[in-house]
Amino acid sequence: MSGHPEAFDLLKSIIHLSNSAIPIKAKLDQMLQTISEAFGSDQCLFLRREKIVENGFLSRVASQTEPFWADKESPFSGEEIHPEEKDLLRPTFACIPLYDETIFQGILYIGFSEKQQLSSQEIDLLVLVAKEMGEAVRNAHLLQKMEQTSSELATLHEMGKVVTSTLKLEELLESIVRTGLKILKAKGGVLRILDRKTKELKVKWSLGDYHENPLDEKIAKRVVFTRTPFLLNHFSKGNPILSIVCAPLLSKEGSFGTLGFYDKETDPSKFDERDFQLLLTMANQMSCAIENAVTHYETSKMVDEHKKRVGQLSILWELNKALLTTVNFERILQITLTAITVGAGLGFNRAMLFMLNERNRSLNGTMAVGPDNAEEAGKIWNYLSQEKEETLSDLIAQILPSSTSNSILNHKVKGIQVPLEQEQCILSRTVLEGKSFNVLFPQVDQEGVRTRCERGCLLSSAASCPIGEHLSRDPTVYSFATVPLRGKGKVIGVILVDNLYNRNLITDEDIQILSMFSSQAGLAIENALLYRNLEEVHQTLKDTQTFLVHQEKMAALGELSATVAHEIRNPLVSIGGFARRLYRTIPDEAPEKRYTQTIMIEVSRMEEILNNLLNYTRDESLVLKEVDLQDILEESLSMVSEKFDEREIELVKEYAEELPKVIGDHQQLKQVFFNLFINAYQAMSGKGRLSLRVHPVSRNGASFIRVEVEDTGSGIDPENLYNIFNPFYSTKESGLGLGLPLIYKIITSHRGQIEVDNHPGEGVTFIITLPVAPLREGKMREVDQ
Amino acid sequence: MKKILVVDDEESIRYLYKEELEEEGFAVEVAKGGEEALEKVPLFKPDLVTLDIKMPGMNGIETLKRIRDLDRQIPIIMCSAYGEYKQDLTTWASDAYIVKCADLTELKTTIRRLLGLV
Repeated sequence: MSGHPEAFDLLKSIIHLSNSAIPIKAKLDQMLQTISEAFGSDQCLFLRREKIVENGFLSRVASQTEPFWADKESPFSGEEIHPEEKDLLRPTFACIPLYDETIFQGILYIGFSEKQQLSSQEIDLLVLVAKEMGEAVRNAHLLQKMEQTSSELATLHEMGKVVTSTLKLEELLESIVRTGLKILKAKGGVLRILDRKTKELKVKWSLGDYHENPLDEKIAKRVVFTRTPFLLNHFSKGNPILSIVCAPLLSKEGSFGTLGFYDKETDPSKFDERDFQLLLTMANQMSCAIENAVTHYETSKMVDEHKKRVGQLSILWELNKALLTTVNFERILQITLTAITVGAGLGFNRAMLFMLNERNRSLNGTMAVGPDNAEEAGKIWNYLSQEKEETLSDLIAQILPSSTSNSILNHKVKGIQVPLEQEQCILSRTVLEGKSFNVLFPQVDQEGVRTRCERGCLLSSAASCPIGEHLSRDPTVYSFATVPLRGKGKVIGVILVDNLYNRNLITDEDIQILSMFSSQAGLAIENALLYRNLEEVHQTLKDTQTFLVHQEKMAALGELSATVAHEIRNPLVSIGGFARRLYRTIPDEAPEKRYTQTIMIEVSRMEEILNNLLNYTRDESLVLKEVDLQDILEESLSMVSEKFDEREIELVKEYAEELPKVIGDHQQLKQVFFNLFINAYQAMSGKGRLSLRVHPVSRNGASFIRVEVEDTGSGIDPENLYNIFNPFYSTKESGLGLGLPLIYKIITSHRGQIEVDNHPGEGVTFIITLPVAPLREGKMREVDQ
Repeated sequence: MKKILVVDDEESIRYLYKEELEEEGFAVEVAKGGEEALEKVPLFKPDLVTLDIKMPGMNGIETLKRIRDLDRQIPIIMCSAYGEYKQDLTTWASDAYIVKCADLTELKTTIRRLLGLV
């Protein structure tokens, strides 16, 4: 370098390079090349600040801020040098420190292998060139900084968009991971949230499969618990670089999750400090948004939960109201099962109720509500979807008493009886263990409940049934659940529900509300049962009262007639007695003889009437023996056969082949049937038919003989029907009307029953049942002396 | 001649029985109640007594007891319009029980049987 024009050219080239758009590294290389050529140097270097070792002569040059050179005139004085600097000690060299304002940037070094002189102009030129290079480095730094800032701004912008775009947790998490992936140019990312209850760190969103790496989870845990971000670039021979950045998500209370990314897509595939800073910025920005979204998510979940609870409570309330409207057992069952099946209620497809019979320890199908087949179910849903929304109480008010009883399901369920001891059976277990069961069971046929499974268990409801366990893997599963029906402190039955038609699975929550519901219904059902029993007892009492009133009436009548009869008897004895005396004294030819005789006969007749009357009223002792009813009937018939023949009354007899004997009073029973036959005879004016049927029957475990006496007479006027067993109530022109009351008295004293099957205009059948078994406390007195 | 005491509150009955039994050859004395009967038994010393049950004052059953206290041997026939007293154990102390009837054949037969006249 000798003259001005060359120096000008060099400066021109350097400035040109400095302003060019090529990257800073290439720019510096070309500048050094140009300088080296212009000065004819052997070596030209730009020594960066960080490359300069401490305690060497270069560091001294840097601190003096002045150019330093060694040449022919002022050779290097052999000052202290660092071993790394040895190569730079050429025969001639110069070092120009570069400053950006006051900050040291590096040193421009130029070295020559020959000893030569460096002129002051040359040094000045080098200072100028170095300044220009410093400017270029500074500009490059500024540009880089600007770019970084703008990319951070872009990140913040992207994140801001994400934060404000949604409150839906899943969408937000997905956007965060996607945006992070884009910004960091990572291959995968994962976002974890700490569960507040379980304190477990759960993957909430991920892209790629890196989160499955156990190392990843370890890092995430460390990050969340130490609240310190983490950067790992792991090199191992033969394997690709493992590069991970992970930052904690921080809230006021501490860290609640982590955001991590994996493997940069650039080469080399590793995250640098800048990525790390970006992630931190991102994590800080996002924490608040995620926290808000989590809170929002939890709040809306809570709201949903509350809504559901309120819904359930209102169902219970509606049901309660409905149950209070009646004490009728059937109605209460209907309300209960309907509430379980309607959409406004619990919404199960079908509900079945089995009541516990404690006496014979069995569960009896009592009622069922639900469609009989899928077609019907479809129709109902279709209908309901067209209807405007109705409340449970509206629906309940519409239930007709007959609506359930006709269904096939109801009939089917009513036929089911499960012995309580069958411990394999879910129904039994529900009662015995007093808890609910939710069972997945293979659907076997469209008809629904099979009444018997292959193990012999009714309803195919055995939970431990191996067939059941095997087939439950079948995709078409039939699921059902049972809950105990509780009365006061005890289980009174079982409710079984299923979703046969829509195949919805029954959740534990369903079971929970069903249990709540059934405990309310249980009390109502128990009350209704008690009420029904009360009604039955009341009816029995009423019957007994009627019977007693009747008996009392009879007793009063008896007493009255006995008094009258006795009062009459004494005068009759006198009249009759003296008439006999007269009769004996009157000559045969005298007409008075006839008069007296008439008095005697009439007195005898009156005495006979009195005897009859007193027979009725007097508690005649029974002469009880084993008697053959057929004999008695035949004897009675023989007493009337003559009369029957006269009027051509047909007699049809039907005796069972083997008739057991009855315990009774032969004479009195004969009287009974004689009276019945005479009654029939009198009822049939003209021709007719008398049918006699005698058969053994059993009722409530006791044996009876049933005697039916049917006539083809005019029947009994319904108006009189209730009085026929009352004494002195005769519709006949002759007679006292004591025949039927006497029959009644004798039959009841034999512990028998008499019933009337009356068909006015067609005839009457009297049905008498007498016990076969020996009477337990009959009046077994001996005959009087 | 055997003596019979007829005890009955009904005059016509007393009259009828007296007539009928005297005709049968008995000596008949009558009493219209229990009290009178108890007076007459020691005086008249009847061989047999017919005794109505339902009487005002001392009834037949009480009278029966009292007569038995006086004389354990004397045959007594209870003659009543009522049949129920047959079941009353106290009437079992009598020798016979007859439900009153216009036809006195049963009464006469029983009297003869009890007096050993058959």
